[in-house]
Amino acid sequence: MNAIECSGLGRTFGDRAAVEDLSLAIPSGTVFGFLGPNGAGKTTTVRMLTALIAPTTGEARVAGYQLGVENQEIRQAVGILTETPGMYERLSARQNLQFFARLYGLDALTADRQVERYLRLLGLWERREDRVGTFSKGMRQKLAIARAVLHEPRVVFLDEPTSGLDPEASLVVRRFIHDLRGEGRTIFLTTHNLPEADELCDLIGVFRTRLLVVDTPQNLRARLFGRGTRVRVSGGASRWLETLRGLSFVRDVVAEGDALRVTLADPDAENPRLVRALVLAGAEIQSVEPVSHSLEEVYLGLLESRERKSLEPVGAGRL
Amino acid sequence: MWRVRIILEKEFYELIRQRALLGGVLGPAFILTALPIIMMALSTTMIGASTALPSNLPAVGGLGAREVAQVFVGIEFSALYVLLPVILTSVIAAHSVVGEKGARTLEPLLATPVRTSELLLAKILVALIPGVMITWLSGAIFIVGTRALAVSDQVVAAIVTPGWLILLVLWAPLLALGATAGIVMISSRVNDPRSAQQLSATLVVPFLILFVGQAAGRFVLTPGLALEVGAALGILAILMVRVATGFFQRETILTKWR
Repeated sequence: MNAIECSGLGRTFGDRAAVEDLSLAIPSGTVFGFLGPNGAGKTTTVRMLTALIAPTTGEARVAGYQLGVENQEIRQAVGILTETPGMYERLSARQNLQFFARLYGLDALTADRQVERYLRLLGLWERREDRVGTFSKGMRQKLAIARAVLHEPRVVFLDEPTSGLDPEASLVVRRFIHDLRGEGRTIFLTTHNLPEADELCDLIGVFRTRLLVVDTPQNLRARLFGRGTRVRVSGGASRWLETLRGLSFVRDVVAEGDALRVTLADPDAENPRLVRALVLAGAEIQSVEPVSHSLEEVYLGLLESRERKSLEPVGAGRL
Repeated sequence: MWRVRIILEKEFYELIRQRALLGGVLGPAFILTALPIIMMALSTTMIGASTALPSNLPAVGGLGAREVAQVFVGIEFSALYVLLPVILTSVIAAHSVVGEKGARTLEPLLATPVRTSELLLAKILVALIPGVMITWLSGAIFIVGTRALAVSDQVVAAIVTPGWLILLVLWAPLLALGATAGIVMISSRVNDPRSAQQLSATLVVPFLILFVGQAAGRFVLTPGLALEVGAALGILAILMVRVATGFFQRETILTKWR
């Protein structure tokens, strides 16, 4: 079952299109990374999917409810971490969360229990009675994350959850997101932190007004760069270039110091043949390892290819 | 409606913890309560001022110089009760709406299942309830002070007229409602609570003219006139609330408020 489905979703502000023809389906229990440059329309998308603003075109179902028809139900079923934490500074951490818990319809006992649970999980329990005005940015952010999940939503939208956090606080938040996924929730994660998206996300969507591509991080790497193997050899690597270029299954090869970076269609099947060919040619192999491209390289590569291919999407897809 | 109560509880809790805001509410209330009473007490020494009171005012017919002086001061200062509900509700509403906008707490609030009508009602009530209650309390103190300080019953009757009582009981909540609705509209364009207060204070100008006119002897605030103005105020307040409701929609707040 899909937690989020949308088809042809779009939103314009005057003459300007903020979001165009967004079609995607996110299965329940997935952590979906929504990546895109500033001004790409990510926040507008999140606002549409959380029933905060109406789309101008298209339709969507979120947590099983029809956008535009069951908006109240959507707001009850989802949690959202907005761009800025937006906490009441004169209220304590506990009072802030209790206020929102009650607005979500939790009774007093459940609200107390949920507030304690999430304040403890996010390391804020000891500061529960302190006014939020005295909190650091990281603490406010963690408190806002707690607010987003207080009512146990099935779908959680997190807009830049670790933005501006120190490494320790970021780690707490990432572990928390891991735990949420473990509970089977669907998480729609908007982030500029690509290593974080790589670590947390099952699916990645790259977006700039339109959805450019959706896939798993592994498949995105393969789609853009192919799959590869790095072979370290004794002596200079460049003298083996011609040997490898002569192999039919080698798509590309470059020398990087004492290593050869070889692009292959299926490294698992072709690595033994690759190694055999090098050994037969007289190479002394020190190590063989898979080439890994960072998500950042993938992301920048996708945006660059988008630039080159004008405005046509390179593979906006449904799952 | 239970969400309105939850928001109101939070708003009142925050209200009583903001010293600057409390000062902005209680300061004018104290001054506008104390000033007329002090002036009433001093008025018998201001007999010369009584010549400023138009002789065509029916209330002063047959009164002595000291009585006329008190009536003059009392009528002048009773006009402040048009100003008080507007000031009080504007201060509270500006902090509640513009303050929330500035603190960026509106979006998380709008992301909850709360209806914008519930949120708007809570924002109106949080300003209206203390604004009107303090105005009525201040008015009651003014009446008691007038009774205590007046040199004769005729003075009390000339100041605490049925027209003025209608102003206090009927105009005050309607003016407060209009001011709060005005603040909501203004909130879409300003980010500073003080700017919002100043703009909403313009609402009171036509009603102050009414009192200047009365003091100048142009007309008398009879019960009939007070009710007619009250009805017009009611229509104006309803219209302003309707317009404010249009401004106070999720979509509008998130995409058009600057």
